[in-house]
Amino acid sequence: MFAAFKGCFSLKRPKQTPGYEKPSVLAAETPFTVSEVKALYELFKKLSNSIINDGLIHKEEFQLALFRNRYRRNLFADRIFDLFDIKRNGVIDFEEFVRSLGVFHPNALVEDKMKFAFRLYDLRQTGFIEREELKEMVLALLHESELVLSDDEVEMIVDNTWKDADTNGDGKIDLEEWKELVSKNPSLLKNMTLPYLKDITMAFPSFVLSSEVEDTEI
Amino acid sequence: MAERSKDGHPTLLHGRYELGRMLGHGTFAKVYHARNLQTGKSVAMKVVGKEKVIKVGMMEQIKREISVMKMVKHPNIVELHEVMASKSKIYFAMELVRGGELFSKIAKGRLREDVARVYFQQLISAIDFCHSRGVYHRDLKPENLLLDENGNLKVTDFGLSAFSEHLKQDGLLHTTCGTPAYVAPEVIGKKGYDGATADLWSCGVILYVLLAGFLPFQDDNLVAMYRKIYRGDFKCPPWFSPEARRLITKLLDPNPSTRITITKMMDSSWFKKSVPKTVRSKEEMEFDAFNGEEDGNNGGKSKQPETLNAFHIISLSEGFDLSPLFEEKKREEKEELRFATTRPASSVISRLEEVAKAVKFSVKKSETKVRMQGQESGRKGKLAIAADMFAVTPSLLVVEVKKDNGDTLEYKQFCSKELRPALKDIVWTSPVNSTIA
Repeated sequence: MFAAFKGCFSLKRPKQTPGYEKPSVLAAETPFTVSEVKALYELFKKLSNSIINDGLIHKEEFQLALFRNRYRRNLFADRIFDLFDIKRNGVIDFEEFVRSLGVFHPNALVEDKMKFAFRLYDLRQTGFIEREELKEMVLALLHESELVLSDDEVEMIVDNTWKDADTNGDGKIDLEEWKELVSKNPSLLKNMTLPYLKDITMAFPSFVLSSEVEDTEI
Repeated sequence: MAERSKDGHPTLLHGRYELGRMLGHGTFAKVYHARNLQTGKSVAMKVVGKEKVIKVGMMEQIKREISVMKMVKHPNIVELHEVMASKSKIYFAMELVRGGELFSKIAKGRLREDVARVYFQQLISAIDFCHSRGVYHRDLKPENLLLDENGNLKVTDFGLSAFSEHLKQDGLLHTTCGTPAYVAPEVIGKKGYDGATADLWSCGVILYVLLAGFLPFQDDNLVAMYRKIYRGDFKCPPWFSPEARRLITKLLDPNPSTRITITKMMDSSWFKKSVPKTVRSKEEMEFDAFNGEEDGNNGGKSKQPETLNAFHIISLSEGFDLSPLFEEKKREEKEELRFATTRPASSVISRLEEVAKAVKFSVKKSETKVRMQGQESGRKGKLAIAADMFAVTPSLLVVEVKKDNGDTLEYKQFCSKELRPALKDIVWTSPVNSTIA
C-alpha cells in the first residue's frame, strides 16, 4: 500500500518536499478536505521558502510570517512552533503543518483544542501546568503588552486563578483539572480556533491547477 | 440527471457534498444541486472542466476571480462558499438561490416604479459594496440577477464573469439572447475603461428594462444596435415618471466621463423616494432588544466587570494569533481593538458615550458593556460597535472593542477617525504605545 502511494507520487513530483504526505491521507485524518489540504500546500510553499528555500518552515520564517519580523521572539509563538514541530527536529514540515493547523479548524474537536492548549501552557512538558509556569506566562504577556503591574498584583492574579484551577490542591494543574476549568470558561479556548481555515480554498486558489486528485477520489 | 459514479451511487465530492440534479449548463460550466452532508445545507455546485479552461488560457483569471469572490460577501451577492478541484474539474460551491431570475418577472410584464425601485436599490447596494473594494462586475446582465425565496435580489457571477467575458472575445456571445445590449459603449469600443462607470451604464439598462419591459437599445441589425449604444440613442416610454426619465438619461450617458457617479445616483430623488429595503440583520435586532440587564441583574446594585483569570490574560497574546499566516494585512488593521486602562468602567463608558453623541449614534449600555449603532444604514446595514470591559486587577481594566454589525471598511474608518483619537488619553502606557492595537 505504501509502495503504491509512493510510486504514484514520485512520478509526478520529482522534487518531493519532505513531509509531503498524500493529501487524501492527511484529509482523512484532519478536519480538512483534499482540496483544503492542497490549498494549505500553496500557503506552506510560501511560508517555507520565505528565507531558506528548502520547503521547511524554520523558526525565523515562522516569526517573519507572524510578526513581519524574523527576529521578533515571543514566548507563546515559540510554544506554538514547538508543538507544530511534532518530530522535534527544529523545523515544521508539511505534514506537521497540516496536522497541527487541523486543531485550529472551527470544526475540530473541542477535546483536541483543549489538549493542545494544555500542552502549550505546560512550558517544561512535565505533564502538569506548574504555578511558576503560569506566573512566567502572565509576566510574558504583561511584558509583551507593555503593562506594568506590581509583583503583588501579579501574585494575586495567579493566586485567584490557582484557587479555581487546582481543585485537588496538589500544587499543579493536571489535564483533568484543566478540562474542568475550560468547561467552566469556554472562552479560554478562543485562541485555539482560526476562522480563516474555513476560507482556505478561496484564499489560495492556485491549487485548482495543480490538483492531481483522481476524479473518483473526490 | 444526477451525476453518478461508476457504481451508480450519487457522487460524493470530498465526502462532503452529495451531487444532485443538474440545474443548468453553459459553454464552460454545469451547475448541479448539491447538499453539504455536514450541515444539511443545499448549495449550487458549479462544475467547470479544467481542460477547456486551460485551452482558452483562462486559468489565471479564474484564480484571480476566486480571490475576488472571497472579498465580496454581501446580502445581495451570491456567496462563494468554497472551491474544490480534481484532476479534470474545478468545483465552485455557491449559495443556492431559489427564486429564479429577476427577468422572468418582467417576462410577465413591466414593473411598477416602486417595485422596480426596491430591486434597483438592492442592485446598487451590491454594486456600491463591490466598488468600495475595487471590484467591478463588468458583465451585469439579466441572467446574473436572481431572486431568493424572500424576493431579495442576488447578483451572481461577481468575479466569475471570466466565463462570459471570454465568450465576448469569441464572438459567441452574439448568439446568446441580446447580451451586448447591456454593455457600455466604452467597453464595446475596447478602449481602456473604468469598471465603475461601465457597471453603472449596465445598471441604467437594467433599470430601463424593469420599467419599460423592453430594451433601450434594440435592433435586428447588430451594427445598427451598436450605433445606438454609442450615441446613447434611446427613448423613454410615456409611462416613465419625470424623475425616472431624468435618472436613466444620466445613467445612459455614452460619455463615461460625464455619466452620473454611484454616489450622486444614490442621492437622486427617484432613488431616495423610498428607504432602501435592507434585510435587518440578527445584530440589528439584538441591538434593539438589548437593555443592559441581560444577565438577570435587576439594576439594583452596580455590576462589576468580570475578572479575567490568568489563562484568559495569557490567551490575549499576539503570539497565539496565527491569522497573519493567512492574511497579509497589518495587525493595526485588525477588526478588534483592545486596550488597557486604569480608569474605572464608568469613565470609559462615558467616554464612549461622548464619541457616540458626536457622530449621532444611539447608545445602549450596562455597567460593563456599551453598544452603539449608527442611525443610517451603511453598505452592509447599520454600523454597530460593541465594547466590553474586563478587570485584570481591581484597578486595571481591559476594554475590547469590536464591530458588531455593518461594513468593515466603514468600521475601520470609524476607528481611526473617531474612536482611537477619543480614547487616546485613557489608554494605559506610554505615548508610543503598542497596546492599542
